[in-house]
Amino acid sequence: MSAVTIKTLFSSAVIAVIGVVSASAQTTAIMNGEVHTAAGGVIENGDVIITNGRITQVGADLSAPAGATVVDAEGKVVTPGIFAPLSTIGLVEIGLDAEANDAGPQREVGFPLGAALDAVDAYNPSSILIPINRAGGVTRALSAPQAGDSLFGGRAAVIDMSGRTNSITKRQAAQILEMGYSGATRAGDTRMGAWALLREYLDEARSYAANPNDYVRRPRDGRFAVSDLRALGPVIAGDQPLIVSVNGAKDIRTLIRLKNTYSLDVIIAGGSEAWREAEALATAGIPVILDPLFNLPAQFEDLGATLENAARLNEAGVRISFYNPPGFGAHNLRLLTQQAGNAVANGLPHDAAIAALTINPAEMFDLDGQLGSLEPGKVADVVIWEGDPLELDTQPEAVFINGQRQDLGHRQQMLSDRYRDLSRGDLPHAYRGGE
Amino acid sequence: MQKLGWTALAVLLLGACAQETVTPAADTDDADTGDTTSAEAASSDGPVRPPLDPYPSTYAAYPSGPVLLANATVLTGAGDRIDGGSVLMQDGKIVAVGADLEAPEGASVIDAEGKWVTPGVIDIHSHLGNYPSPSTDSTSDGNEATAPSTAEVWTEHSVWPQDAGFTRALAGGVTSLQILPGSANLFGGRSVVLKNVPSRTTQGMKFPGAPYGMKMACGENPKRVYGERGGPGTRMGNFSGYRSSWIEARDYKKSWDDYWADYDEWADGDGEDDAPEAPARDLQLETLAGVLNGDILVNMHCYRADEMAFVLDMTEEFDYDVTSFHHAIEAYKVADMLAEKGVCAAVWADWWGFKLEAYDTVPQNAALVHAQPGGCTVIHSDHALGIQRLNQETAKAVDAGRRAGIDIAPETAIQWITANAARAMGILDQTGTLEAGKMADVVVWNGNPFSVYAQAEQVYIDGALMYDRADAARSPRMDFELGQLGEDEFTGGAGQ
Repeated sequence: MSAVTIKTLFSSAVIAVIGVVSASAQTTAIMNGEVHTAAGGVIENGDVIITNGRITQVGADLSAPAGATVVDAEGKVVTPGIFAPLSTIGLVEIGLDAEANDAGPQREVGFPLGAALDAVDAYNPSSILIPINRAGGVTRALSAPQAGDSLFGGRAAVIDMSGRTNSITKRQAAQILEMGYSGATRAGDTRMGAWALLREYLDEARSYAANPNDYVRRPRDGRFAVSDLRALGPVIAGDQPLIVSVNGAKDIRTLIRLKNTYSLDVIIAGGSEAWREAEALATAGIPVILDPLFNLPAQFEDLGATLENAARLNEAGVRISFYNPPGFGAHNLRLLTQQAGNAVANGLPHDAAIAALTINPAEMFDLDGQLGSLEPGKVADVVIWEGDPLELDTQPEAVFINGQRQDLGHRQQMLSDRYRDLSRGDLPHAYRGGE
Repeated sequence: MQKLGWTALAVLLLGACAQETVTPAADTDDADTGDTTSAEAASSDGPVRPPLDPYPSTYAAYPSGPVLLANATVLTGAGDRIDGGSVLMQDGKIVAVGADLEAPEGASVIDAEGKWVTPGVIDIHSHLGNYPSPSTDSTSDGNEATAPSTAEVWTEHSVWPQDAGFTRALAGGVTSLQILPGSANLFGGRSVVLKNVPSRTTQGMKFPGAPYGMKMACGENPKRVYGERGGPGTRMGNFSGYRSSWIEARDYKKSWDDYWADYDEWADGDGEDDAPEAPARDLQLETLAGVLNGDILVNMHCYRADEMAFVLDMTEEFDYDVTSFHHAIEAYKVADMLAEKGVCAAVWADWWGFKLEAYDTVPQNAALVHAQPGGCTVIHSDHALGIQRLNQETAKAVDAGRRAGIDIAPETAIQWITANAARAMGILDQTGTLEAGKMADVVVWNGNPFSVYAQAEQVYIDGALMYDRADAARSPRMDFELGQLGEDEFTGGAGQ
């Protein structure tokens, strides 16, 4: 079966055009801000015009269209919305509360499936994590399952942070894979086992994809669930990014070989030693999603961890973005800007940090035609910040998703307001706020 | 670290606890106790007294000449800000802080124009050394999770002084820190306070004269760890565990107090009777009795408001003090009660949601605690990355306060990670502020430390330059990191 056929098989999984909600013609004009377009430049006194959910104009000295809602951004900074490229947002409410955590199967319980799991099935747009992080400027995220006993976590989806019932931007946007020592613990406690098992999966998925009807009829290895192999179809076709958790340089070198052998679209997650293979990663076109704060030899595969990882990778031409461990992170995606600020303090150019938070993730998931920068034609995910978005005393003043201005209130704010006054009052605290 | 999942995080957070400080030297009785060998001394030399400090600090400051940091923005940690200020250090101590200081003869004068100078950062809640890097089964020494009450363990016996995390914390300006046992247990054991100066031994890092702390834990952790191992399995089980132990401790303390009184009476007598016999020592009860005596400071890991309120009543019931609640996610709901009791809340800026008792975090927590008259806020890390930027955590918490109408100036905010931490650790008389006579524990920042771009450029501990971002020779590298990574010649170290 040709790659083209495989693409056809799975094309239904991809929503090519982002649905922009618009009951009627709406125009918003953000005027006179310091506009960081993430498309190659900063426009002092720049304007961004949004019509029907999309950006229609970006530039200096524009005129607000008649009837537009004008937002004065003088003295403010305007950027694309923050795009979290790896998270469990919408899958986890409380980490240690099993019923409120769907981020992935429990370990060591023998649950048989991995790649077949799909974040869309469990994604909860009503999670309180969404408005809390939206208030920090996060407008899009990859909601990704974490691996249980399988090497594979399953299919991740790009979502918008509106909290709408229909907030899936792109389903099956990536497949999740644990390698490095994390993978080894799922494969006999040796990295050799993890790589061998991964090759088996890819070979079986190829075999399945070549002729699904024949594959299911003939005797087969029961270790590979057909649903997992089917889910890996777009991965072996090179159509779906495979996000691979690896840290050590030795694992990264093996991963590059495997990517070339199987023609995979690979993204690294973690990559604490990725700087050691920066040139090779640039050549192979492998992006890295990293935690720029991580600088400890926490495990032997992290011996080269350094605060300069982001700067060195960027310098070598590797596309980078950030995530917020532990796990893939979910509760504090709002801190990606702080993490980016620390990367800047350790050598990453400021504009590269903005790109890492916006356009780079959009490119990783092949959404850069529609998201990630402030350019005419793109979906209007826009944030107006009080100042430098990376600073610790800066918050969004306005957040637009799909052109819609978002409510920036959330549960933490309500709790804080409720207990601002601890006096006994006329009625208990349970009667205050939230009405 | 990237692959830490929730389970691993749970282990990490089990590290959280409450700390108490025990000051052996503060015990007036220990003057005649002498050294550790007198613990079981024969009655002919006086009454039996358990040793208060059997593993004494061998820390000694490294040599330093006089240094004048001139023309900086100085946050004293005592509540003042001095623009164009200077700090003079000599013989390991702060000599003077002010606007126009003269450099004494022979002093190194450092023009710190544009720099900010603060006291050394102090982390009241760390697991460096007892959950070190590398994190392996071999090095996981933070939780004696074998019984719900292990007040008998001393975490200094777990601290690995070769933890590379100490060096990274140093580059973040940390000069003193308290290492706590984990929070699996109702009583987790004794803490140890360290100076962040590398040493071959843990004794070589021990903060001279710092009181011991003791870790206790509320809520989910003891329940989760022991619920299927004989209990406690409920919050009411937790409290019965605390109370039973305090009753035992009270009796134990009385048995020793009675013994010493009897001994004095016997010594004053005619000597015809045999000397009274000392009670049997019990390491667990010895630590608890130290708390009841006021020598050991209680660091209480507690998330929920209702549990903190019960703990405060329990301190009345058994006549002891909690010095600080740690994590204290819901401190803002009972901030008035904490302030009234003089209990500090040691909190994160914005961590939340890893378990249900951490669901009600608000970023304003630190500021709301601070806003109470007498309120005491401490920002803590409980984390080997967080400890590297307590200044940033403080900045976020201050900003959240500002948005709630609580204005906190930099000169006040810096106290959350210096003086207030020192107060809750019982070392404020020695460090935590830039005041004449105190230890010269000083950080020179390249700008406002509450900016995300700020970095510690120089860190002085007892007047000695222990870290200099511009000088690789002043960047410690632990044994574990030497010679790693082959051709990349990457040796880790404080600046990484």
